[in-house]
Amino acid sequence: MLNIIVTLPFLSSLLIALIYLGNTNAKRFVLYTSLGIGSLVIITTLSLMSLYDMMQGAATIHTKLFEWIHLGDFQIEVAFMADRLSIIMISFITFIGTLIHIYAAGYMKDDAGYGKFFSYFNLFMGSMLLLVLADNPIMMFVGWELVGLSSYLLIGFYHQDAANIKAANKAFMLNRVGDFGFIMGLSILFISLEGHGFSFDAIKANIALIDYQTLTLIGLLLFVGAMGKSAQIPLYVWLPDAMAGPTPVSALIHAATMVTAGVYMVARFSFLYIQIPDIGLFIASIGAFSALFAAIIASYQSDIKKILAYSTMSQLGYMFIAVGLESYSSGIFHVFTHAFFKALLFMGAGAVIIAMHHEQNIFKMGALRGELKLTYITMFIATLAISGIPPFAGFFSKDAILVTAFASGHYAIWTIGTLTAGLTAFYMFRMLFSVFHARKSKAQRVLHPLPKCMTYPLIILAIGSTFAGFVGVNGAYGGENFIAHFLQLPDISVHLSHSSEYMLALLNVSLALFGMTLAYKLYGHRAKEAQPDTLFKKVIINKFYIDALYETLFMKPLLSLSRFIATTVDMKIFDGFLNYSILFYRVLAGQFIRLQNGKVRAYALYFLLGVSAMSLFLIYKLGVNL
Amino acid sequence: MNYHILSSIIFLPLLMAILLGVMRAPLKVLKAGAILSSLTTLLLVVRVIIDFNPKGGMQFMQNLPWIQNAGITYSVGLDALSLVLLTLIALLMPLLYLYMLKEHRKGYWYNMLLLQTGVTGAVLSLDLILFYLFWETMLLPIFVMIGKYGNGLRQYNSMKIVLMTILGSMSMLFSILYMGYIYFETTGAWSFSLYDLATIDLSTKSSIWLTAGFLLAFAIKIPLVGFHTWMAPAYGSAPTPAVVIMSAIMAKLGVYGIWRFGYGLFGGTLHYYTPTIITLALIGLLYYAIRAITEKNLRKMFAYSSGSHLSLIALGIFLSNIYAWGGSLYFIATHALASAGMFMMIGITYNRFRSVNIEQLGGIAQKAPIFTFFFAFFALCIAGLPGTGGFVAELLIIIGAFKSSFLVGILSATTMLSAMLYIFWMLQRTLFGASHNETKIADLTLKEIAMLTPLVVLLLLTGIMPSLFIPYLEPQLLGGF
Repeated sequence: MLNIIVTLPFLSSLLIALIYLGNTNAKRFVLYTSLGIGSLVIITTLSLMSLYDMMQGAATIHTKLFEWIHLGDFQIEVAFMADRLSIIMISFITFIGTLIHIYAAGYMKDDAGYGKFFSYFNLFMGSMLLLVLADNPIMMFVGWELVGLSSYLLIGFYHQDAANIKAANKAFMLNRVGDFGFIMGLSILFISLEGHGFSFDAIKANIALIDYQTLTLIGLLLFVGAMGKSAQIPLYVWLPDAMAGPTPVSALIHAATMVTAGVYMVARFSFLYIQIPDIGLFIASIGAFSALFAAIIASYQSDIKKILAYSTMSQLGYMFIAVGLESYSSGIFHVFTHAFFKALLFMGAGAVIIAMHHEQNIFKMGALRGELKLTYITMFIATLAISGIPPFAGFFSKDAILVTAFASGHYAIWTIGTLTAGLTAFYMFRMLFSVFHARKSKAQRVLHPLPKCMTYPLIILAIGSTFAGFVGVNGAYGGENFIAHFLQLPDISVHLSHSSEYMLALLNVSLALFGMTLAYKLYGHRAKEAQPDTLFKKVIINKFYIDALYETLFMKPLLSLSRFIATTVDMKIFDGFLNYSILFYRVLAGQFIRLQNGKVRAYALYFLLGVSAMSLFLIYKLGVNL
Repeated sequence: MNYHILSSIIFLPLLMAILLGVMRAPLKVLKAGAILSSLTTLLLVVRVIIDFNPKGGMQFMQNLPWIQNAGITYSVGLDALSLVLLTLIALLMPLLYLYMLKEHRKGYWYNMLLLQTGVTGAVLSLDLILFYLFWETMLLPIFVMIGKYGNGLRQYNSMKIVLMTILGSMSMLFSILYMGYIYFETTGAWSFSLYDLATIDLSTKSSIWLTAGFLLAFAIKIPLVGFHTWMAPAYGSAPTPAVVIMSAIMAKLGVYGIWRFGYGLFGGTLHYYTPTIITLALIGLLYYAIRAITEKNLRKMFAYSSGSHLSLIALGIFLSNIYAWGGSLYFIATHALASAGMFMMIGITYNRFRSVNIEQLGGIAQKAPIFTFFFAFFALCIAGLPGTGGFVAELLIIIGAFKSSFLVGILSATTMLSAMLYIFWMLQRTLFGASHNETKIADLTLKEIAMLTPLVVLLLLTGIMPSLFIPYLEPQLLGGF
């Protein structure tokens, strides 16, 4: 079953690619759609069936496709494992993935590269499922890199515009910087295990072989990979630019699935990370800092997709707080709820963008709530969810994370998280009110009609955003925290009295409501774009100049070094050495030519010199008596 | 049959060339003859692969006395190491003939036939004089192909590659002759057979000097950093089939030489050079890659790319553990496939646009999707993307590097980053963006697709199922060299 789940998207991707390359101009809307969506419907069904089995108590599933490599003790199989963690992951990935595929069929309908798009989209799904279901870290890394590739292809989908390709390059390169750390971590892990096998089970069983210091290093290097993939400081700069891709791509890859791979990886290696709480704290701090940082930037952005991108980064920060503080199940819980409301927000944003004829500036929209009623209502629900207003999904998962931070005594992280929660409500409602409430700009507008397949998935996701939180209601609210019990991850156990939990929740909710009210006051009627009039605003609107900093720190020196090698080291030193030795022979030859000048008197002189030298040699050196 | 099979594989192209030359064959016959010989050798090599016994060590040996007074024998044989290179040669030749199907200059075809005999002979020789002979033989056609059929400063560049390579060959020849002489002094008989010379007990000092003689030849051929200034000009000037052979086969012969003769003759002293070569290889890995970033000429860019990856292969050999060795050997094969594909695509680019300058390209993706697919595929293979063979090889070398030392591990892992930098910028400027010229260009023809598809299939197979290939190599790797 797992074999089918992973290979089917790859196969349909390949098939679509071949058909597409056969004739790129042919319109094969029905064929591509049925292949692309059909395969996903099948794997979603299979995933949900497996989930059901596992909820009934079925054991972890292991399947082996074939042996990948066997060289000495380096033995890796293309094998899959579905335990409780991965089954939760693939269930919502395939489910939301299918919805986004359906949505994309409407969004991309008239695009000339429709077939190409679905080929890439299915390639992504296959890679993501490989990442999640991999039985060993090497296969996970293969999936890890392939999602990066599909992300590259999809961000650069409109490749005529050089800016999009630049964004795609940036995404791939920064991800690869992360992968550079990841592969080093894996290599050291493999070497340290001394040939005791490299499947997750084997690593878990033999983790005691590795000393603390090495484990710390491995944990840190693996997390570098997560920083890249999940857009955390300092490797986050690709995510906002990645919005250059078509909106369904942002919804699927840069919101619901790929970017959460880092969180999943940490949870997958939870048996390793519980041994190194220092690194855990580091992860949590990076997460907290990223959450706040992204939220601040988001509050000053005008592009609807970039606001959502920063908000994704910020929410990922929360997830890393959770997994860093060893509350793995609440991290995964937030991944789960976030997938619903963030996918919904992106898809709603995509609908707005299409309706507005590809306008992305929220301050050029306004008063859309009457015309795009369904989009408005569903996006409102998602905004409530992300802001942590009960009983919507985000409340429970975010609350679980903040409770952990507070109860485990990490008050600094808790403070940042709580502040960010208020800020989240502010910038999300700022976006919502500017788009749907504020007075519209004077220009006449005729909205582009939206196909049904773009709006119906929103309803399903809105239902998810409302109710998904109920799988993780904890004791304080009369639930049993089903998801945490189901996942069976090695969570830290924290104890907080119910009354303190209520206090914390009350604080969060009032901060969120305050942010919401503030946003309504400022943007509910008359939305105005932030102007870089003070230094403070200027710095934030320019995203703290991090891009420029990277440019000067890394790209420019690299290019200068490259030119220096080309013009100086290669030309002057290596070639110079050769050319000078040639020149040396030339000069020498020139001198010898002079000797052979054809004049008898010169030759007679050489003759004399030669005979004299010989005579002197005979007399003084050999002592010949003349 | 098996006794003569290697000799048939070596000499069939040469005999074909002589026969066609004597016949003064017209162009069509010449083409047919060349293609026939390449297909026949391919079939023979398939036969060798089928009969090959991975655990059998050196096999298919043939030993004939040749110049008896000087103890020079004609001896050839094959093990896993030479099997990899032999397969690559046999596979690439028919594809290259397909590539140059429209080529009307007869000398071109004769040179390719001679080249095949040269490289095949070098891979299979077990007598050092014989090896030296083939080693020089393969240089001749390259000299002619660059000097006569190349472009740019072709005569200067062909002179440069030949002079620099001959500098190395001379030092190697000196080492070979000196070893033969020592063998004569100790046993009273002349021999240049690899196995005889390996038995000599050398003093440390002379062994160090003799090793240097060989290493210089191989370092220039690879080329390690510092010995490389012939590389970019030669790659830039050479016609595509010559570039493919140079990058896919001849550069690898430098590595092969270290493996076969370095380990075969000087296993004890080679470690004396290990730190030097590891340092040079690690510098080369980054040096060439960084150099490639701002290179505008695609041929030269991938010349540097080739240098960078060859440095990694050389590094793997000197790390002396099974992962790194396996990775290096695997990389020899997968890099040959990827760079062959890449250079063929660059050749096709030149045929379409009359330029391989990045600044004059761009926007190809809109006009020619199939072209774009193949071009990007080979480029991504070179960047070592998972799912392609290069990834497996790089992974093994990185693991092997970490096995040997932490620092070497980190530095060799930079291969993940270095190739990415020039590849992705190159793709951005070559394939994507707005188009610079309005001329319509034709997408790949069926012939071109047919010639590239085997490479794509093999690169995917080596990436997805390395277990199909590794069993051929593993016994020898486990046995050491």
